[in-house]
Amino acid sequence: MSPAYILKRILLIGYTLLVVSLIVFAITQILPADAAVMMLGENATPDALAALRLKMGLNDPIWMQYLHWLGGVVRGDFGVSMRTGQPVAPAMIEALGRSLLLALFSIVLMLAVAIPLGIVAAVRRGRAADLGVSFLSYIGVSLPEFVTATLVVLVLADWLQWLPATGYVPLTEDPLRGLKHLVLPVLTVSMILIAHVSRMVRSELVDVLHSDYIRAARLKGLSKRQVLFKHALRNALLPTITIVALDVGYLLGGVIVVEEIFALPGIGRQLIVAIQARDLPSIQAGALIMATTYAVANFLADIAYAWLDRRIQYD
Amino acid sequence: MPSIHRRDFLAASAALSGLAMSGVPAFAQTPRRGGTLRVSVDQAVSKLNPLVTRVNPEYLVAELLYSSLTRLKVDMSAEPDLAESWTNSADLTEWTFVLRKGLTFHGGSPCTAADVVATFEAILDPKTASPARQNIGPVAKVAAKDETTVVFTLSAPFADLPVTLAYLNAKIVPAAVIKGGLEKLDRQAIGTGPFKLVSFEPERQVVVTRNDAYYDKARPYLDKIEVLVFPDVSAEASALISGDTDLLGTTPPTEFGRLQKASGVKALRLASGQFCNVNFGCDQKPFNDVRVRQALALTVDRAAMVDFVTEGFGSPGNDTPLNPAYRFHADLPAKKADIAKAKALLAEAGYPKGLEATLIASDRPGQRTQLAVALREMAKPAGFDIKVETMPHATYLDQVWKKGSFYVGFYNMQATADAIFSLLYTSNAAWNETRWNNAAFDKLVSEARTTVDDAKRRALYAEAQKLMYEEVPSIIPAFFDLLAGQRDWVEGYELHPRGSVYRLDFVSLGANAPKRG
Amino acid sequence: MIEILKRMLRSPQGALGLVIVGLILLVVIVGPWFAPYDPEKMAPLMRYKPPSAQFWLGTDQYGRDILSRLLHGARATVVLAILATALGTLVGAVIGTVSAFLGGRSDEAIMRTVDAIMSIPSLLLALLIVNLLGKSSLNALLAIALAFAPGMARVTRSVALSVRKQDYVNAAIARGESAAFIVGREMLPNVVAPIIVEMTIRVAFAVMLFATLSFLGLGAQPPASEWGLMVSEARRFMHLSAWMILWPSLAVALVAIGFNLLGDGLRDALNPRS
Repeated sequence: MSPAYILKRILLIGYTLLVVSLIVFAITQILPADAAVMMLGENATPDALAALRLKMGLNDPIWMQYLHWLGGVVRGDFGVSMRTGQPVAPAMIEALGRSLLLALFSIVLMLAVAIPLGIVAAVRRGRAADLGVSFLSYIGVSLPEFVTATLVVLVLADWLQWLPATGYVPLTEDPLRGLKHLVLPVLTVSMILIAHVSRMVRSELVDVLHSDYIRAARLKGLSKRQVLFKHALRNALLPTITIVALDVGYLLGGVIVVEEIFALPGIGRQLIVAIQARDLPSIQAGALIMATTYAVANFLADIAYAWLDRRIQYD
Repeated sequence: MPSIHRRDFLAASAALSGLAMSGVPAFAQTPRRGGTLRVSVDQAVSKLNPLVTRVNPEYLVAELLYSSLTRLKVDMSAEPDLAESWTNSADLTEWTFVLRKGLTFHGGSPCTAADVVATFEAILDPKTASPARQNIGPVAKVAAKDETTVVFTLSAPFADLPVTLAYLNAKIVPAAVIKGGLEKLDRQAIGTGPFKLVSFEPERQVVVTRNDAYYDKARPYLDKIEVLVFPDVSAEASALISGDTDLLGTTPPTEFGRLQKASGVKALRLASGQFCNVNFGCDQKPFNDVRVRQALALTVDRAAMVDFVTEGFGSPGNDTPLNPAYRFHADLPAKKADIAKAKALLAEAGYPKGLEATLIASDRPGQRTQLAVALREMAKPAGFDIKVETMPHATYLDQVWKKGSFYVGFYNMQATADAIFSLLYTSNAAWNETRWNNAAFDKLVSEARTTVDDAKRRALYAEAQKLMYEEVPSIIPAFFDLLAGQRDWVEGYELHPRGSVYRLDFVSLGANAPKRG
Repeated sequence: MIEILKRMLRSPQGALGLVIVGLILLVVIVGPWFAPYDPEKMAPLMRYKPPSAQFWLGTDQYGRDILSRLLHGARATVVLAILATALGTLVGAVIGTVSAFLGGRSDEAIMRTVDAIMSIPSLLLALLIVNLLGKSSLNALLAIALAFAPGMARVTRSVALSVRKQDYVNAAIARGESAAFIVGREMLPNVVAPIIVEMTIRVAFAVMLFATLSFLGLGAQPPASEWGLMVSEARRFMHLSAWMILWPSLAVALVAIGFNLLGDGLRDALNPRS
């Protein structure tokens, strides 16, 4: 992996963000909402509105407004929320932190559950365990988040009363309560991921176990267990990294719904609130931050993949 | 008996429900001090500036942080708040309020008559866009006579001023802040209320702590209050049932049954003048034709509507915003559905083949959609083809409310008949969403406002209600009982029929309450 | 064609998928005729009934028959999802094939742009588009189609690239055929099989996305009996009757499972591995 490659990937992230910023800006420009009216309220006088429009540069040509906005974004200034009157960037970054926490826990839970499931299914291919895992994973990928979320709330929060149904408590404020509030959202988000990734691990592992390379290892006299954990698993898990990275996009979409249902004030919920209130600067910032997260996650996955891949070759 | 008196009605409704309205709460001994109360609300607290708040959770927070000149008791009469006493001229056009001595804002600066004058001048300034402007009565001029005396000069005689000055948005803010720009109050609170702001996260929670400099040395009893936002009403009820929260501001009828069954929870219910209505844009086709509005009103099966929309926790409406919870309610014959007559009226209005319309209902509270879909089905046989469109509440507030010509509204009970009429239905109403602009109605309301004689006033309001009953500027099919809940360790809380007054400074926690940070 | 069908029936996924999707399509076509009641008819005295001989799946908050609503709602739910996927696939396939045909810098530019758009989560993109166009089932369809197009473009391109290296494409280029002819007549037909597999799986996603949009109040409007909307509405009443939320949730899941199974079965049948 050469520095040139990394540089190229970074440039590509830049291009991605440029395209996303154009799309998002275009959409928010067409959305029917008068920024000046929204900021001053409905009872504002025409004079005040005109003055604010001038001040906000709303009379400039669109491309100038875009460049002006982009210039701000590059400096980390996403403008001021029309809803709260506060700078957008700090609120969004804080929200992103909460979403990442949710994503992190979900990915950890996913890895802890999905990989063993995938291994069991692959090793016992065609037997009851395989069919069981397969059955569960079909259900997992086929339940939309809002259905899963509703069901876990109904069962775990309302009937059994084990956990609080919604809300968010920062871990720094009260770690125990904070974790309790995270359990249901994490369960919901990781459900689809577990289903998806366990299937991937299974099919990769099945392929690897049938490869010549593994047969050769078996012929060398290595035990089944040694082959599985020393050789097969490493090769099978490698593509999983890419899958997880690609799933980040799905994760981010799912997070929108999950945060809305569980009232978790992450970036997804901020975006929904912003979209409902037509708070254009917040929509722009939220969408751009989501796209950046996705692009960076994929970049890191590629780097990790290349790095691990090289190690395996030389092993 | 032409009408039931408000007090009797409230007492009756309390007896009926067998709950709530503990009357004089049972704390014979003095309330315990200290502790943290967790209150849940069902919407974000977006606006902190008390002059422009507009939804219940915002009113709740504003009430904790700020004070008015007067405050509203549970029987809808005024009691002293910052003003310790008041007098009026014989012709009811000049009112003098005397402030308590030694009032201070949270920062420590004194609160004087000058702050009161500046606040009301800001409220009367259209640029502030405060809903209080149209709701505090015919105030023409406010002046400070000395440090603690404020004189209100009215443009017309008005008997309800002490009550209207308790209006939710008429909270006193420092003159210095008004001078420097009210934006300052978007993120911080500088009030004279029983609590001080600790933290403010609009979508999640607002935390307030005891104001030791509050004018009443005995209150508040609590050390801290956490106002928690639950966008999901079902989760909100679950949180109360599990003991995670102590008090729930309001809950929909669909959740109330769970609260009644839960142990350790007291379900609170109180008849009120809160209602959902279907607003017509009376200045636009087809609803500018009174026959069309009457026709639609005739399709409504009001008893079924009470079931569909309130799950039985409510009472049928008659298309006027006053029900027996109001003092000047007029007892008009209950409206009944009559599809044949509705059809005839529609044909007469020029729609023999029926009529299409899109009815907009926001998603919060859920009763709005519930009402819209039920109306759609009920109106179908008469030839109305109604398309229901739902939208997020925030979008509705920005795009439809006060602008649309056919949508579902939802309103709290107001303190007086005048308040609800001039909030929604007169030509110069703060939220004149129906644009009914009926001169005869305006005249009746403004005449009643300046009439001191109770019987005469009652007659004028009866006439006004009859006009609405006949002309239907909006359909009011059902009134809601207020539904809420609390843990049994919460003491001194009483549901307020106004629906947006909480008086949490009178609340304390019992000995069995959980200890919290 | 028959061969593929046979192979599909031999694998458990394929067979099960065929059965489920077949049943669903049957409901889509004839369901409304078998509905025992009017799906919008209210009955104030029959609210929140559990399943019984009279109402097989129970009744909802207006006393409407849930079974009849599900049978009527199948069209809105399934047909729109299929249409959205088909539209998204069409757009994506054209972009992908053209990109593969052009190759070189144009290919690079198109694909990088497609990648960029893909970095906006589908749900978010759909949310923005529906807000832009105004909410209705049709706009939700367009939004989902647009959200799917980049992904389909990527899949099509990779398939088309391998097709492009084939002799018959080179022959057509040598013959001096127009680009439109080559893309439309020679390349597209040959990328169809893998795309159909991808498409089938995406229908499952589309059903879920549609339901999610309705759930967020941006798709179908009440009193429509679109299944996602039914779940969304039933959430408010889940403590009065859990049946109301259970049945439409199961229906959404069943459709998604059916198309997922069918897609996997198709892939195995079209691409037989040892």
